[in-house]
Amino acid sequence: MSSALDWLQFVLAPQMVNGLSIGVAVVLMALGLTIIFGLLDVINMAHGEFYAIGAYGAVALIGLGMSFWWALALTPLLMAVLGYVTERGLIQRVFHSKDRHTLTLLLTFGVGIVLEDVLKIVFGANPLRVEAPITGATELVGLFFPNYRLFVMAVGGLLIVAVWVLVFRTSLGAIVRAAAFDRYMSASLGVPISRVYAATFAFGVALAGISGVLLAPIYSVFPTMGRDFVLIAFSVVIIGGMGSIKGAVLAGLLLTQVQSISSLFISPVWNDPLLFGIMVLVLMWRPQGLYGKLGNA
Amino acid sequence: MKTKLMTTLIAATFTVGAQAQTGPIRVGVVTPLSGTYAGIGQQVKWGLDLAAKEINGGGGVMGRQIELIYEDEEANPAVAVQKAEKLFQVGKVDFLTGTVNSGSTLAVGQVAERNNRLIATTVSFADSITADKCSANVFRVNARAGMQSAALADWMASTKPNANVFYLGPDYEMGRSTVAAFKSAAESKGAKTVGEVFAPLDNKDYSPFFGQMRSARPTVIYTSVAGNDTVRLFTQMAEFGLNRNVQVVGASGTVTSQNLKAIGSAADGFVTGVGYSTSIDSAENKKFVASFEAANKAQPDLYGADSYGVLFFYKAAVEKAKSTDTDKVRTAMRGLQWATPQGIKTMRAGDHQAMQDMYAVKVNGGKFEIVGKVAAATAIGPDACTKF
Repeated sequence: MSSALDWLQFVLAPQMVNGLSIGVAVVLMALGLTIIFGLLDVINMAHGEFYAIGAYGAVALIGLGMSFWWALALTPLLMAVLGYVTERGLIQRVFHSKDRHTLTLLLTFGVGIVLEDVLKIVFGANPLRVEAPITGATELVGLFFPNYRLFVMAVGGLLIVAVWVLVFRTSLGAIVRAAAFDRYMSASLGVPISRVYAATFAFGVALAGISGVLLAPIYSVFPTMGRDFVLIAFSVVIIGGMGSIKGAVLAGLLLTQVQSISSLFISPVWNDPLLFGIMVLVLMWRPQGLYGKLGNA
Repeated sequence: MKTKLMTTLIAATFTVGAQAQTGPIRVGVVTPLSGTYAGIGQQVKWGLDLAAKEINGGGGVMGRQIELIYEDEEANPAVAVQKAEKLFQVGKVDFLTGTVNSGSTLAVGQVAERNNRLIATTVSFADSITADKCSANVFRVNARAGMQSAALADWMASTKPNANVFYLGPDYEMGRSTVAAFKSAAESKGAKTVGEVFAPLDNKDYSPFFGQMRSARPTVIYTSVAGNDTVRLFTQMAEFGLNRNVQVVGASGTVTSQNLKAIGSAADGFVTGVGYSTSIDSAENKKFVASFEAANKAQPDLYGADSYGVLFFYKAAVEKAKSTDTDKVRTAMRGLQWATPQGIKTMRAGDHQAMQDMYAVKVNGGKFEIVGKVAAATAIGPDACTKF
């Protein structure tokens, strides 16, 4: 009996807390993706690279002598500008074509490849380091956990709530949801649709950027880092329901728990097959995902 | 008629032969100049260029200059085979070196057999190249994985006797074979295995393994992850305080000059077994490091040092054979002793594996310090080659 309790406390509980800290990272990535998809109907294949640019932005700003906190505050603003420009300059150009889905997917895919190589040329291929601004670890009921990860979980949680409030409890959010629900009706009611699109894309990119800064001290910074979370974030968005915020949060936390707990029993190499197996099953039996689209939520 | 044709043919052969013996000696280099291993290929090129310059400046090999002909193999055995074939057939090279990836070395070795030429690798670690997959046409001047494990196991047995070791490797061929090799070397010297886990390559987060590692209560953690994976593993282990009161050791490719800066202080105390360190205290090595730095504005690593050494190996063999003929040079290479930055190396005749002193090195403040040394004869292990 006591050994079972020991197992719960020293093996299962830490594993679940670890899973939760990875889960928050995944949800942050998935949120930006799902918002962009929910409103613009654009599958942003460059999302991972925007995450990487966020991390490199922090490296550059800290290199200029700024503190981590300034970098954390400034990077998302710069990323929003980059996102706005990308939407107006590139996506908007193919957006109104008949083959919008294919074209925007290919366009963002290409943008992602270009951005990855630009990072390699500017910063070099070797990994870089961002020092964690908070060090040390906290012991909670026999659980040993780094303070910086606790901080990331807290900030991540706050961000998730803030995004939810912004989308569902403010008039700005109402405009976005209305535009997602019926763009022609919203336009005829005076909503500046194309600017709402660009701003929403910018918001999604800023979310990717802030995730990049937050996670840089844990996962280190290198040109291909964008591929890390983007695949799992895509499957989270698909399982949660393309464009659903609630779905992304729920699916993100659930899937990372499945991964964490399953790796206690089977080799962690099976993590990815397991994850994408679940995605395939969801697509077969409930192709719309757990929840519907942003406009309908 | 027939006799006349034969005479002409023989005469032609002699003319070609005579021509080949007077022009420069052509050495082909098939090495990754682009792609994942471009950093290693760069060291190979720097080492070879420096050695060729010194040899040519000192009068060449038997009065003939050395000419290096480079081909990019992109760390891909299929490309390496094409480029090697081209160098043998079209480039008419006398000798070939430079392969990095063990798969490339094995594949190019077969090309050399078909063309009746000799090759030497200066980088590949896989034990099989000079063991069960050995070839009469392939030599290795660098230390193989087994010798690195032996040096590390020896250091561990003397500083942490009867250690409880936990193994963490990347889940693919190289990861599993390095863990298996070190485990057998460590266990033969009294270490106990308390657990092992294999993480996927390019793993993001190692914290899910930490519970298992902590509960196994190891005194030593061995890992053979490499590149960015090392950066994450070490950063996260420091984050969770897992490296406190535990000695972390690993494969020689785990911490390198490419990722050392990004790991930062989390790399301090890490120990590995290698065949070269810039801090080897000898006149030859100091001279080598100084001229390497002057030429390339960078420090040599083990790849640069062994690639520098291979041309002196070839030079010594050709001078002993008084010829560049494959059979004569092969005979001269067997048992040959030659000078390198690491001291005198001996080419073991039975398996074509160079014997050399091995070192245990420790990371301290971003530098590798020598903390132990194993004599060449102890480190090399038995001759497992049965093909020639």
